[in-house]
Amino acid sequence: MDYYIAIASIIGIHALLGLSVYLVAISGQMSFGQQGFFAIGAYLAGMGTALWGLPLLPSLLLGALLAGIMGFLVGFPALRVRGFYLAIATYGFGEIVRLVFLNIRNTREIGGRVVGPNGAEGFRHVRYVFDHGLTGLQYLGIIVAVLTAVSALFYWLDRSKLGARLRAVEEDEVAAAMVGINVTRVKVLAFTAAGAVAGLSGGLFIHYSSYIDHDMVALPLAIASITYPILGGLGSFAGPILGAALLVSLTEGLRALHELRMFVYGGLIIVTMIVRPRGIIDDALALRIRRWVSARARPREIRTP
Amino acid sequence: MTGILLDVSEQFLNGLMYGCFYALIGGGFTILFGVMRKLNLAYGSTIMAGAYLSLIPFYLFDAPIWVVVLSSVAGAMGVGVLVELCCFRFLRKGHELAPLMTTIGMLIVIDETIVFATNAAGLQYPSPFGEESLAWGPFLIRRDYVAILLTGLLCFTLIFAFIHRTRLGRAMRAVAERPEAAQILGVRISRINGLTFALTSALAGLIGFLAAASIGSARPELAVWLTGKGLVVMVLGGLGSLPGAILGGLILGVLEFEAMWFLGATYRDIVAFGILFVILVVRPTGLLGARAG
Repeated sequence: MDYYIAIASIIGIHALLGLSVYLVAISGQMSFGQQGFFAIGAYLAGMGTALWGLPLLPSLLLGALLAGIMGFLVGFPALRVRGFYLAIATYGFGEIVRLVFLNIRNTREIGGRVVGPNGAEGFRHVRYVFDHGLTGLQYLGIIVAVLTAVSALFYWLDRSKLGARLRAVEEDEVAAAMVGINVTRVKVLAFTAAGAVAGLSGGLFIHYSSYIDHDMVALPLAIASITYPILGGLGSFAGPILGAALLVSLTEGLRALHELRMFVYGGLIIVTMIVRPRGIIDDALALRIRRWVSARARPREIRTP
Repeated sequence: MTGILLDVSEQFLNGLMYGCFYALIGGGFTILFGVMRKLNLAYGSTIMAGAYLSLIPFYLFDAPIWVVVLSSVAGAMGVGVLVELCCFRFLRKGHELAPLMTTIGMLIVIDETIVFATNAAGLQYPSPFGEESLAWGPFLIRRDYVAILLTGLLCFTLIFAFIHRTRLGRAMRAVAERPEAAQILGVRISRINGLTFALTSALAGLIGFLAAASIGSARPELAVWLTGKGLVVMVLGGLGSLPGAILGGLILGVLEFEAMWFLGATYRDIVAFGILFVILVVRPTGLLGARAG
């Protein structure tokens, strides 16, 4: 049972990270650096509970806030670059964050343990969840609650004017600007919000694992985070969640295969991209689901003028 | 004062020579991107695959060093064919992200194959360069750096001669500039793409040999490191500009070596990614790039 709770927790945390990449992607930008915001959120939220004695929720929000501010700051320079350049520039940002955490030390001794970011050692002993006697299932409940709240925002976004503006910028920037959309504002907003979501994901992660180090926010996490939305589909916010659920449970479920599971992981990405280049829940499927859901929600009526 | 000046210029020389190595990696990325307009993120893994495959004749038959070099080139070309087949051949057109993702998938597959085959342990790699450095005036120069410099000069001379002086090279440039126009004039694009893959994969084999021989061992984690450096150099110079990639490689080499000497080894990569970010923001098309991304 604990095993399944652990897998579900990781899926929830990674789904949030996937949603963060998705949010940037639907504004037509490609970020390969959301793991940097994840790291910022994790370190700050961890410092919140472990060093400053704050409760969990304010610490998570603090991490998300700082990650959002960093997203805002990265969003502006990112306006000047597009496509591959942006992907690589943001990867550069992610690596800088990682290398800064490799060098940062801010430790204090608490209860005989060295707590705090400690360079290459990482940030150990974030024991809030254990100290407060939360079980794995209860913590999973917190993760699910956060994921549900964020998903609700995305559900609203997919149906709102703002969401339409994001998609318009993705489709064609010039045309979007022509109809009066402030492209700069939309893009920076997407980066800011995506940074905050990734920070939230990081904060949840460090309290789940009680530990993070710079190696955990390196290239593999970057690859995973962009794989979720691209494989799951960019048509709806359900795409990245589906992608995270599929890939995490696949890598965990194939643990019996040991080393071979990563072959399957890599192979699955290749095959999916050949068969469904816009992911499993692509725009067409998302539209069909949306129509099907709304047809169920209210019976069709024939309107007469 | 003269001591500092000596240090600065020695690191400058080292950086310039090692920069040739970065230029070669960036060059491989750039040629492929320039011709096919696609990013091959599995290139770093192709390089390492070549280096690992060249160890087979070395361990089995104790092969001489030139056989190791040749088999590295051949091995990388074989892996390159595989990458082209799996990641590019069957993709539908018009999806920019798809080739990015398939090459990431390939990166994972190749890296895991290497880890699986070698138990993730680094393997000793034959190095023909020897330990002691050469003295040149007041400077001490490592032999493997000289080899890197010479290989870089040779490769880029050959590549430039090929793309500017031969018919095939001209066809390649034509495809890079305007694929449709080139096709109308009778250039078979699929053949040029295949040729480009063969060329860059052969280059990957050479780079793989240099990378492993220079540190005396082949390690799986080098693949990601190589990919990172290649991307930085490619973007620094301007996507698709070969002179830009050379310039970018040299600049990266010099800045990294100065940073390592004056700030410490952990700052090497911060400097690399820092200048990448700054250059992209200040000059989004790279140093010598003309087109916007």
